[in-house]
Amino acid sequence: MRLTALLRRLRARPVALPPAEPGVPEIQEAARRNRGSLQLRHVDAGSCNGCELEIASIFSPVYDAERFGMRLEASPRHADGLLVTGPVTRNMAGPLRKTLDAVPRPSVVVALGDCARNCGVFRGAYGVEGAVADVVPVDLEIPGCPPDPEAIIAALRGLTGT
Amino acid sequence: MTSAWLVATALVGLVASAAGAMAPLRVRVHISVTLTIAACASGFVMAAEVLHTGGVAVVHTTALLPLGGLSMVLDRFGALFVAVSAIVGICAMVFRLGYHGPGLSSRTASCTLPLFVTTLLLVPAASNVTTFLFLWELMAVTSLLLVLVDHRRRSEVASAGQWYAVMTQLGATALLVGLVLLATHTGSQSFAAIASRSAHLPAWVRDSAFVLAVVGFGSKAGMVPLHVWLPRAHPEAPGPVSALMSAAMVNLGIYGIVRVGDGLLGGGPAWWWLLVMALGALSALFGSLHSATSSDLKRLLAFSTTDNVGLMLLGIGASGLFASTGHRALSLVALVAALLHVVIHAVFKGSLFLSASSLQQATGTRDLDRMGGLLRRMPMTGAIFLIGGLAMAAMPMLCGFVSEWLLLQAMLHGLPSSDPALAVAMPIGVGALALTGGLTALTIVKAAGIGLLGQPRSEGAAEAHEVGLSMRLGAGTLATLCLVFGVAPFLVVPSVVDAARSVTRARISDPLVGGWQVGLGGVHGALAPGLLAVALVVAVTLAAGARRVLQRTPARRTQAWGSGRELQTATMEYTATSFGEPLTRVFEDVLRPAHDLDVSHVAESRYYVEVATFHTSLDDAFERHAYRPAAMGLGWWGALARRVPNGSIHRYLAFGLVALIVVLVVVG
Repeated sequence: MRLTALLRRLRARPVALPPAEPGVPEIQEAARRNRGSLQLRHVDAGSCNGCELEIASIFSPVYDAERFGMRLEASPRHADGLLVTGPVTRNMAGPLRKTLDAVPRPSVVVALGDCARNCGVFRGAYGVEGAVADVVPVDLEIPGCPPDPEAIIAALRGLTGT
Repeated sequence: MTSAWLVATALVGLVASAAGAMAPLRVRVHISVTLTIAACASGFVMAAEVLHTGGVAVVHTTALLPLGGLSMVLDRFGALFVAVSAIVGICAMVFRLGYHGPGLSSRTASCTLPLFVTTLLLVPAASNVTTFLFLWELMAVTSLLLVLVDHRRRSEVASAGQWYAVMTQLGATALLVGLVLLATHTGSQSFAAIASRSAHLPAWVRDSAFVLAVVGFGSKAGMVPLHVWLPRAHPEAPGPVSALMSAAMVNLGIYGIVRVGDGLLGGGPAWWWLLVMALGALSALFGSLHSATSSDLKRLLAFSTTDNVGLMLLGIGASGLFASTGHRALSLVALVAALLHVVIHAVFKGSLFLSASSLQQATGTRDLDRMGGLLRRMPMTGAIFLIGGLAMAAMPMLCGFVSEWLLLQAMLHGLPSSDPALAVAMPIGVGALALTGGLTALTIVKAAGIGLLGQPRSEGAAEAHEVGLSMRLGAGTLATLCLVFGVAPFLVVPSVVDAARSVTRARISDPLVGGWQVGLGGVHGALAPGLLAVALVVAVTLAAGARRVLQRTPARRTQAWGSGRELQTATMEYTATSFGEPLTRVFEDVLRPAHDLDVSHVAESRYYVEVATFHTSLDDAFERHAYRPAAMGLGWWGALARRVPNGSIHRYLAFGLVALIVVLVVVG
């Protein structure tokens, strides 16, 4: 009995947290493709920088999101997808499309925060083009204003699959 | 028969020059250029015949020149240089037909250009001191006039002309003294007589004659530290002239050093050749460094000429050093490498200078920072420039690879020697060659990448159109030769070996060439560029096929990544200056870059910039430490001398008295 438990632990991955929650089929498919590594290019499409603070904190020593294989990447050419925050302003709509165009296919787009999902408090503002989904196709949404670091990590773990 | 060709070459050249001076403007260029091409063709036939049969072309007459009279003997060694000048001359003249440089259609230019080409063809045939110096000076004067054709519009031209005139006259003085020294001590001014008697001359005569020859010929070849005129005069000369100067005239400097050192003096002590090697290594490194950091396209090419002359000198020095230490076989290989590099440098530098002139004519600028996007607008000229550039970077399948490989092999085989001079010189030579090769590759990545690719950085570059047929033909022929000599060096190597043998009088029967291979006589190592080319083509085809088979999804084409900006303009691109900046920083002590940033603000607020200009310039270390102090010293001396004659009649009378007393004391 003890021996089988030991063998099972030897075989299993060393995890400090329960395994990631599987998402919808498309996200599962992306997770299978990513195989534990998710390189994201962050695009601030007009955010108030609240979401940026939370993104910064998930890579801090407290949450250490890199242990799940997710990283922020400097160039879209090296990225698996985009991490978009904020409502898409008129000035950023074109650059956002161009950035997605520069990402190799297949790619994912994550809309992070309420503003990215539905423009949040900026809805109808004069400089806002629309939500992220109005500009580029979105694969994963993370609600919250701003989302908690735990929520961001949990959602992105669905994409990395770890 | 060959003598008749020699006379024909000279006569046709003179007729071309006269036609350029007298024909009406409408037909002037076509007549003089056609006749010059005929002179070049006649020179090439003569050279080919001499190279092939080993016969000599002889013309003697006491009528035309004072002192020794006109005497010309073309042997195989000279014929090699005549052939190179003829090929470059024909291509430059064909190019000239389509070239519209300012001032080049004037009576003076149309008269001097054929004369210049003719002297390039005749100098290697001169066989006594008078004839040689006459033709040499004629070449210097005609090339000076051709550099100066545009002097009315641009002041840089006049300044370049001054530098060139001073340096070439100093060099000619050194030559005059050296050759006259030889002539007086051997009692004859014919080259053949000097060569047969030079072995018995006192050592100081031989030494000073050789050093003076290195100085005189080196200044014409653009050897460091006598190179200062070259990066000024070559870029300012009109397109075909700059090609002739860089691809044919500098060769004659190399010709002179070998002719005097190996031919007239029959080789010498090791320190002669160590001197030549040291100057060669210095020229190669200095030239390639400046060429890698230069952003003026023609200045870049001019510095690369200095660099390549350095490689030739390295080969000549190594050859002499091997000969003086008893390695006869290696000596021949090194000399063949140097002479082969003369031929090959002429071919690729000719194509580079001609295509660079096409780019200049199409865009209206020589500044690489203002070019860009030209490969798409001028595909043919761009391709010619690329081929020439890759040959210059010694890429396999192109001609530069063969000669640099031979040179490297010759020096590497000298490494195991126990002779201390060889043991010190050869590793340094190999290192200089290696570093030069790297810098040259960087140079050509810069020139082609910044000039031909990307977006146009000026209106001139945006509106550039492909140049006319004759310009493409002139430059394209040389580029084709780059490919031909690179794949099939056996077409040219035997002639070079014969030429080298004829000047060193070496009797080595080991073949340097066997079928498709280029081998080394007496030592191990062989190269088959033809097979290499076939292997490369097969490998590339296989790789392309494999990629086609293995690729699952077709590639998606998108814009170049520019941080998502809506507008991607040419100002965001790398420029030649920024590309060379890291290298400039590494070699800051040598290059001494001077930066000049000028920012003018908007009148309403100084937080907004209206115009910002940035200018950077590099300094020539030799100019800074040698030429400018020398020029200042001369100026100081002149100012001092001007104070002596102050206009007082009493003082002048006193001068006369003092002079009389001094004469009486000395004579008495």
